[in-house]
Amino acid sequence: MKEIMKLGIILLIITVVASVVLTYTNEITKEPIAQQTLQANILARQTVLSDATDFEEVDQSEFEGYENIIEVYKGMKDGEVVGYTVKTNPKGYGGEVEVMVGITGDSVISGVNIGNHQETPGLGAKADGEFKDQYKEKSVENELKVIKAGAPKDNEVMAISGATITSKAVNTGVNSAIKLFNEKLK
Amino acid sequence: MNLGKIFMAGILFENPIFIQMLGMCPTLAVTTSAENGLGMGLATTAVLLGSNTVISLLKKVIPSKIRIPAFVVVIATFVTVVGLMLKAFLPALDAQLGLFIPLIVVNCVILGRAEAFASKNSVIASSIDGIGMGLGFTISLTILGSVREILGAGAIFGHSIFGASYQPALIMILPPGAFLALALLLVLLRFIQSKKTTQN
Amino acid sequence: MSIQGLFVILVSSILVNNFVLSKFLGICPFLGVSKQVETATGMGMAVTFVMTIASIITWIIQKFILVNYGLEFLQTIAFILVIAALVQFVEMVIQKVSPTLYQALGVYLPLITTNCAVLGVAILNIQSDYNLIETIVNAVGAAIGFSLAIILFAGIREKLEISDVPEIFQGFPIALITASLMSIAFLGFAGLV
Repeated sequence: MKEIMKLGIILLIITVVASVVLTYTNEITKEPIAQQTLQANILARQTVLSDATDFEEVDQSEFEGYENIIEVYKGMKDGEVVGYTVKTNPKGYGGEVEVMVGITGDSVISGVNIGNHQETPGLGAKADGEFKDQYKEKSVENELKVIKAGAPKDNEVMAISGATITSKAVNTGVNSAIKLFNEKLK
Repeated sequence: MNLGKIFMAGILFENPIFIQMLGMCPTLAVTTSAENGLGMGLATTAVLLGSNTVISLLKKVIPSKIRIPAFVVVIATFVTVVGLMLKAFLPALDAQLGLFIPLIVVNCVILGRAEAFASKNSVIASSIDGIGMGLGFTISLTILGSVREILGAGAIFGHSIFGASYQPALIMILPPGAFLALALLLVLLRFIQSKKTTQN
Repeated sequence: MSIQGLFVILVSSILVNNFVLSKFLGICPFLGVSKQVETATGMGMAVTFVMTIASIITWIIQKFILVNYGLEFLQTIAFILVIAALVQFVEMVIQKVSPTLYQALGVYLPLITTNCAVLGVAILNIQSDYNLIETIVNAVGAAIGFSLAIILFAGIREKLEISDVPEIFQGFPIALITASLMSIAFLGFAGLV
C-alpha cells in the first residue's frame, strides 16, 4: 500500500510539473497563435477579394436559413463597400470542403479559394490549382454548372478529371454564395 | 562509449527508419514533399532531444514500475510544447503536418530511445543520442520526401526541376506511392550493402 | 443527425479513408503483427475494443473537462494517459473475466498504447466536431477498416512466405510493395461516399 502511494505521488508530481510547463507555454504562445489566425483569415479573404483592405463581419441573422454558409464578410476600401467574401462548407466525398468565394459589387466573382478539406491529396488538391481559377470573372447572374467534357460556356466550368465529386462540391459552395449574394447582399 | 560513435549510430548504423524500421506512421504519411519530411524530422528531433535529456535526468527518481507512464507524460509535454510553438511561429508547416504533430507522442522511436538509452545513460550521452537519432530520422524523411516529390510532382522543395513538359507520376504522392518509395529505397540500400560485402 | 449521415461516416472510415492504407495510422502493428491471419485477427479485435472505448472516454473528457476549463492545450497529454490507463485496465478486466479471450488478445494489448490509430481516431473525432454517436460510429468504422486491412494483408503475406521472391526483396520490401498494391486497390473506393 505504502509503495503504491509512493508511486502515485511520484507520477502526480511529474504530471503537475508537466502541466505547469504547458500552462506557461500556452500563455506565451496564445497571443501569437491568435495573431496568426487573424492574419491568415485576413489574407484568405484578400486572396478572393483583392480590392478590399478592411473586412467587416456580416451578422449571422442576415444569412439564416441559407445552406452551406459559414460566415460572410463585407469587404471595404476607403470606407466604401467593394464586395463580399462568403465562406461555405459544401460536402465533398471526404467530408466538408471549405470554399471561400469573393464577389465584387459589380456582381462578378473575384476569386475562389479552397481551405480545409479531407479530399484525397493530389487528386482533390488539384481543385486548388487551375480549377478554381476558372471561376474568376464569372458573372453571378446565373447558377454555375460543372461539365465533364466539351468547351465550357460562360456559366460553366470544367471538372477536374478524376475528381468530379470534389469539383461539384466546390461548385455547390460557389452557387450557395451566389444565391445569398443575389437575394440578400446585392 | 565515445560521443561521436553515439551520434553516428543514430544517423547511420542504427538509423531509425532504414535499419530499425521504427516510426513508420509519420514516415509514410507526411513525406509527400521534401519540405514536409524535413519539418516533421526536425519537430521529432526537438522532442527526442528534450525527452531524452529530461528522462536521463530523472532516471534515478522514476521507479521502474511506473516508468512507461512517466516517460509518456514527459514525451507528451514536449510534443505539446513543440506543437504550440509551431502553431504560433510556423503556422504553414503546422497546417501541412496537422494530425501528425500530436501523434509524435506515439512515435515508437521516441519511447524506444527513452527505454533503451536515456533511462540507462548519462545526460550528455542521452542528449547526443537524441540529436543523432533525430537527425537520422530527419535525413531519412527528407530523402523519402525528395524521392516522392521528384517523381510525383517533378519538383524538389517546391522548385520545379523538369520544366512544364514533365508529366509527374501523381501516384507517388498518393498513399500507394509512400509504401512503394520506401520499399524501393530499402532495396537500393540492400543492393549497395550486398555489393560492398562481395567486394570485401 | 440522420441515419444516412452516420452511414456515410461509417463507409468513409472503413473504405474511403481507410486508416492504414490512406491515412497511415497504425502502420507499426500493420507491418509488425501481420505474418499470420490468426494473429492479425487477434490484433484487429483488440484494437476494435480499445479504440471504441477510448473514443468514448476521450470525447467525454474533451467536452466536459478540457473545453469547460479552457484546457484544450492539454489534449495530447490527457488523451495519451487515458489510452495508456485504459489499455492496462482492459487487460486486467479481460484477464479476470475471460481467460480464453485474454489468451487470444493478451500479447497485443500492451502494443496498442503506442498504436497511433487509437490516439489518431480520438483526436480526429474532436477535430471533425462529431457528437457522441458520430464519434462511436467513426471509431467502430476506423477499427473495422484497420482490421480489414491487417487481415487481408496477413492473408497475402502467408502466401508470400511460400512464394519465390527475389532475395533482395524478401521481408520488408516485398511487404511494403504488397501494401502499396492494396492501397491502390483502396483508392478505387474514393468517391464512393
